[in-house]
Amino acid sequence: MMSALDRRAFCIAMGLIGLGAASTDARAAEDGAVRLGIVAPMSGPNSRYGSFSLRGAQLAAEEINNAGGVGGRKIAITSGDSQGTPVEGVSATRRLIDLDKVDFIIGDVSSSVTLAMQPVAEDAGVLLLNAASSNPKITYGAGVGGFKWTFRNYPTDENRALVVIQYAAEKRGFTKFSVLSVDTDYGRAAVEFTKKYLPGFKGEVLTEDYYKEGEVDFRSVLAKIRDSGAQAIIMYGLADTTPIIARQMIEVGLAGKIPLIGNAEFNTESTIKAAPKALEGAVEAAAWLPAWDAPKSLAFVEKFKAKYRETPNNHAYVHWETVHLLAKAIEAAGSADRAKVRDALSRIKYDSAMGEVTFDDHNQARLPMILLQIENGKPAIKGAYSAEIKYPAK
Amino acid sequence: MLSAIFEQIVNGIVSGSVYAIVAVGMTMIFGVLRAINFAHGEYYMLGTFGAWFAIEYFDLPYPVALVIGVIATAVIAVVVGRFVMQRIVGAPPETGVLATLGIALVLQNTVILVFGGGYKFFNGGYIEPVSIFGFTLAEQRVLIIIVCILVFVGLELMVTYSRMGKAMRAVSQNIECCAVVGIDVPQVALRTFILGACLAALSGVLTAPVNVSVYGGMGEIITFKTLPVIIMGGLGNVRGTFFAAMILGIAESLVATYVGLQFRDTVGFATLMLVLMWRPHGLFSAQARF
Repeated sequence: MMSALDRRAFCIAMGLIGLGAASTDARAAEDGAVRLGIVAPMSGPNSRYGSFSLRGAQLAAEEINNAGGVGGRKIAITSGDSQGTPVEGVSATRRLIDLDKVDFIIGDVSSSVTLAMQPVAEDAGVLLLNAASSNPKITYGAGVGGFKWTFRNYPTDENRALVVIQYAAEKRGFTKFSVLSVDTDYGRAAVEFTKKYLPGFKGEVLTEDYYKEGEVDFRSVLAKIRDSGAQAIIMYGLADTTPIIARQMIEVGLAGKIPLIGNAEFNTESTIKAAPKALEGAVEAAAWLPAWDAPKSLAFVEKFKAKYRETPNNHAYVHWETVHLLAKAIEAAGSADRAKVRDALSRIKYDSAMGEVTFDDHNQARLPMILLQIENGKPAIKGAYSAEIKYPAK
Repeated sequence: MLSAIFEQIVNGIVSGSVYAIVAVGMTMIFGVLRAINFAHGEYYMLGTFGAWFAIEYFDLPYPVALVIGVIATAVIAVVVGRFVMQRIVGAPPETGVLATLGIALVLQNTVILVFGGGYKFFNGGYIEPVSIFGFTLAEQRVLIIIVCILVFVGLELMVTYSRMGKAMRAVSQNIECCAVVGIDVPQVALRTFILGACLAALSGVLTAPVNVSVYGGMGEIITFKTLPVIIMGGLGNVRGTFFAAMILGIAESLVATYVGLQFRDTVGFATLMLVLMWRPHGLFSAQARF
């Protein structure tokens, strides 16, 4: 009897808590703010990306709101958790559209998730502005390619793959490569485009492996790479896995002999600290990094550090910049009407910390990639390269 | 070529040792409670978090952190064992599945709520490489193999000679008879459960230095890797679990090298299916115990 009563009390208490949570959600929607949904991996193996993304976006919204909002309206951010998986990303997107009634969505980080979100946003006629996925397919299929409501303010892996392989071949003289990338649309596509350009540099791939998100044991594959005679490891991977791989590279005796090239946040201070010997000489093409020497970029790093006591990563920056870009488009459109904002976005000329942003007919922003190399434990910038994407003829 | 295969086999033995320490707890819990503990990987995670917490917040040395991680897990296991696991004794099988799955969700999400969902960096242990037989290995991995052997020798002795070990074997054979001759079945169940959880935690803390990252969802994959091991070893069979874990570890290592890293996780699940099809009572028992 007693325990039955306890259970009832427990259920009622939980119900009340739920109601309380629901009513705060409803309140946010009533004050006439521009409702912006951020879909990002807030839990799971990529949650570090998600937390940086959301913080970047929140910082931008705060700056905009403190300066009086856009056209007098404040920006209200609602967060959706994609957990880095397409299934959860789609339900988070639907929740934002159906329940939270957002007008604009920025998301996701993972390419696989963004690809799954595109049709959902298209059906609902909600603007999906991607800020951090690099799979070329996303904008191959946008604008004149199909999805009218998808825009991407981020350089693609096609650009990245070319920049990295060109540097590795011409400046470092590498011709023999091993592939160790993450087994997702991002990792696989980046390698696919690398292979497209490899013959031009007389390069060959000796071994090819893909790791699952959450994999922790790389000894076997690293030993194989060590014995294969490869000169560099092409890695398009996850930031959180890089320290694990780097440490095990020291363990199997790869560190200092075979550098990592590609993209997996080799330049983060804590990653370099975890295994300085393994990361020395690593080559990375990044959309942005904290050391980028532009006044707007440096000011952002200072602000972010002051607020969150942490150096921002690439994802924090791109989300911060993209929220500002969206605000600029809303201003240019003169209203938060979705169709007007979309049209304004396709004509926009926006001054970002990486240079002027304009969109091509596939709704792809023209942006450069920064090439850097880890030298003496610090990222050294070797230049910024951009390339006009040549879409395949239909 | 030969030395390359030898190196991969040693790699397999290291990961096999990790699986073995986790799986032996799970298999003993099954023996006594007749329930697969789907939350077993969470105790692995809790142990690691305990040690990480001790190192990160109190700057304690790794051996102390190891003890703290295991003790913290034991405390949680006492609570879970007292309120949930003891009630599973004699209950229908689906009770165990639901209860342990529920516990897994609660433990995992509590940790995510308290510490956040991001990866934490585990800063401890002995990661300097040492050279053995012509290839290099982190000291920590040697430690893992040694601890694994000690754990299994200890368990073998306990199960054969100690009063609690004998009681555990008795309960795993016939609960009613145990009750008749005066064995305190719930007490045996609770102790077995705590022992199993502590072993999982120990394994977690031991692997943390080489796996580097600590995060709330890290236990899930361990639970799913452990399932094929305990079924291959024969449910409730301590010695069988040891060999099954080694077989899986070595097979995974060879597949990762010669087939491709992306197929590594396939090994466990493929073995699980094959064993269930042809030898559902495990590779090492002549007949099914349950």
